[in-house]
Amino acid sequence: MLLLLDIISGILLVTGVFFGLSGAVGVFKLPNFFTRVHAASVTDSIAVILIIGGLLLQTTFGINIAKLLFILGFLLITSPTASHALAKSARHGGLLTMSELEKGDQQEKTPK
Amino acid sequence: MHTVKWVISLSIFWLLLSGYLKPLLLGFGVASVALVIVVLNRMQKVDNEPQEFGTWLQTIRYIPWLLGQILSSSLRVTKLVWGSPTEVSPSLAKINVEAVPEARRTLYANSITLTPGTLSIDLEGEEVTVHALEQSSIDELKEGYIATKITDIWGDNK
Repeated sequence: MLLLLDIISGILLVTGVFFGLSGAVGVFKLPNFFTRVHAASVTDSIAVILIIGGLLLQTTFGINIAKLLFILGFLLITSPTASHALAKSARHGGLLTMSELEKGDQQEKTPK
Repeated sequence: MHTVKWVISLSIFWLLLSGYLKPLLLGFGVASVALVIVVLNRMQKVDNEPQEFGTWLQTIRYIPWLLGQILSSSLRVTKLVWGSPTEVSPSLAKINVEAVPEARRTLYANSITLTPGTLSIDLEGEEVTVHALEQSSIDELKEGYIATKITDIWGDNK
């Protein structure tokens, strides 16, 4: 039983780390600001869920479970808020408006 | 009644965070709960928007569905990242949120941001501005798959 829990938790942790890494790679590989925020949100959401899910299976039943769940809850509320604040301020700062979408993308897509 | 609910949930929250049952620390806990209640009641007079507790049942029905959405859209974004990141079709659109009860619009916008590949940028009046990594995500949002889920679950009590 304990071995099974360890295996499941290991799988969750490894996939979580994989998604976290994918997010980081995406931040470098994607072409412009807004698409990079999407990549970062992979790390924000699924990686956090999987890693904390894996940690939940590692702890003994008790107060630590509650604390981990609190961390998960707060991260799931605050990280979209942070992405939203970033995107909103970028837009209001003039990085992207509805009509500029086409032009802006092409500019950013020019070869490095 | 409202205050009682807050006292109970704050006390439980404090206990779960601290885990100590020594008299001194419990005293601090009681003091901090009392302080928060006083502040809450004072703020109540200013903004007049009672913070309702969502019923747990509804949240519990919503969260697993949202987790499933997060997982599937994460896989899509990950595929894009490792595959061909230049083939993204970033797009921006305004999505009507009239169907969503007003108290749930924050949840709606937050759910959009939380699912990778879509990002809510602005919530003005009846419209939320969404930026998406792929055009298809915008189309799905316009069909309102998150909105119908939220109205399904919370629609009965605005």
